[in-house]
Amino acid sequence: MTIPEGLDNEGETDCLPSGLKEECDFLSEYATRLMGVGVHTSRVIRNTKRIGMALGLEVHISGFHRTLIFTVNEETTGKSRSFVSDIAPLPNNFRLNSELSKLSWQALDEHLEFDEIKKRYWMLVNQPSLNPWLVMLLTALANLSFCALFGGDWAARLMVFADTLAGVLLKRWLTVNGTSAYISFICCSFVASMIVCGLVCIVPTDTAEVALATSVLFLIPGVPLINGFIDIVEGHILNGFSRLTEGALLVLCIAVGLAVTISITKFTIN
Amino acid sequence: MIFMDILTDALFGAMAGIGFGAISNPPVKAFKGIALLAAMGHATRTCLMQGCNMNIASASLVAALLIGWGALLVGKLMRTPMTVLYIPALLPMVPGIYAYKVVLSLLLFFHHINDASASQYMENTIANSLVTFTTIFNLAVGATLPVLINKKTAYSLTRGRKLEETKK
Repeated sequence: MTIPEGLDNEGETDCLPSGLKEECDFLSEYATRLMGVGVHTSRVIRNTKRIGMALGLEVHISGFHRTLIFTVNEETTGKSRSFVSDIAPLPNNFRLNSELSKLSWQALDEHLEFDEIKKRYWMLVNQPSLNPWLVMLLTALANLSFCALFGGDWAARLMVFADTLAGVLLKRWLTVNGTSAYISFICCSFVASMIVCGLVCIVPTDTAEVALATSVLFLIPGVPLINGFIDIVEGHILNGFSRLTEGALLVLCIAVGLAVTISITKFTIN
Repeated sequence: MIFMDILTDALFGAMAGIGFGAISNPPVKAFKGIALLAAMGHATRTCLMQGCNMNIASASLVAALLIGWGALLVGKLMRTPMTVLYIPALLPMVPGIYAYKVVLSLLLFFHHINDASASQYMENTIANSLVTFTTIFNLAVGATLPVLINKKTAYSLTRGRKLEETKK
């Protein structure tokens, strides 16, 4: 059987037009980076197609939780290439979500050269994140606010503030040491809730239950839970359920850590 | 007094939105928008739940709709994708307490499986699961609906002026 020119993937380096492999590698890097930093599936697909369009390529993507499957057609020659890329787990990054989306429009509207797109991409990716100490402080204040919203008094709020600082520090240390996210969530939930139980014995408060209940809420994986539902609403149902399953497992881990604290301290929640 | 309560609720909602949003490293310029939307959304939900006796799922839907439309306007002004604004703003409304109570009730159910109280824990598990699931679903649907209605605008919020337009 004769395979039409451009449709065979055997010996792909020979049949590929020059540069297409490099462009495919870039599209793969771009799309998997977006998926990794917590962008919902439809936006990843839209942005990658837009970059492809700017390069004169027609891009088709099938999105899964851990991999993306690409088919890239070069419009001028009709040659195509299909490949699968792994999605590396990365910390959520809304700045990249926003900036890489802008880059896709710039590539299309300003007719950027491929090298210029790559240059701007790596410049954006290598920009520093927010100061981790500032993030830790803001997270602790956020959890303090949560405690306040649930009716905790000032003593309870300060306990939650302290436990969140410790919990975030521990989570960062465990992440740096390559601990599994599930183990990390159990440990952080246990330590954070134990700190509150310890503080309740020292500092008088009328809302100890609220303090304990909110002590672990900084761990709730809100982004995958909301992204999961967005994916489902937008028709990427498999990916949506994958994200929800991951989120539900993390919630389960939080509850396990808390349950261990409760069984050790015999503290009850109403 | 009621006004002060709403203001306090909005303030804590904004703080929670900024703090939980900061974990996901949003663009610095987006913080103002996130704070505004989180404050507006949380205060609205509290007003609906306490003032109109609305349940948490329905109140969350209304608040999320407000956040979604707000994110569309703010996103247009800041050239920022809607999700960057509305996900952190929705985070303070994720029913975390209900989510962990689901598992906690389940654990207590197994702990008391031979007692008469077991059925009560089972009921709590189911009730908390339904509240958690429906509330998060409503939050996501409410915030996404404006995207689905205004696809063209929502999908091009980060677009600058076209090169041709700039040349003119």
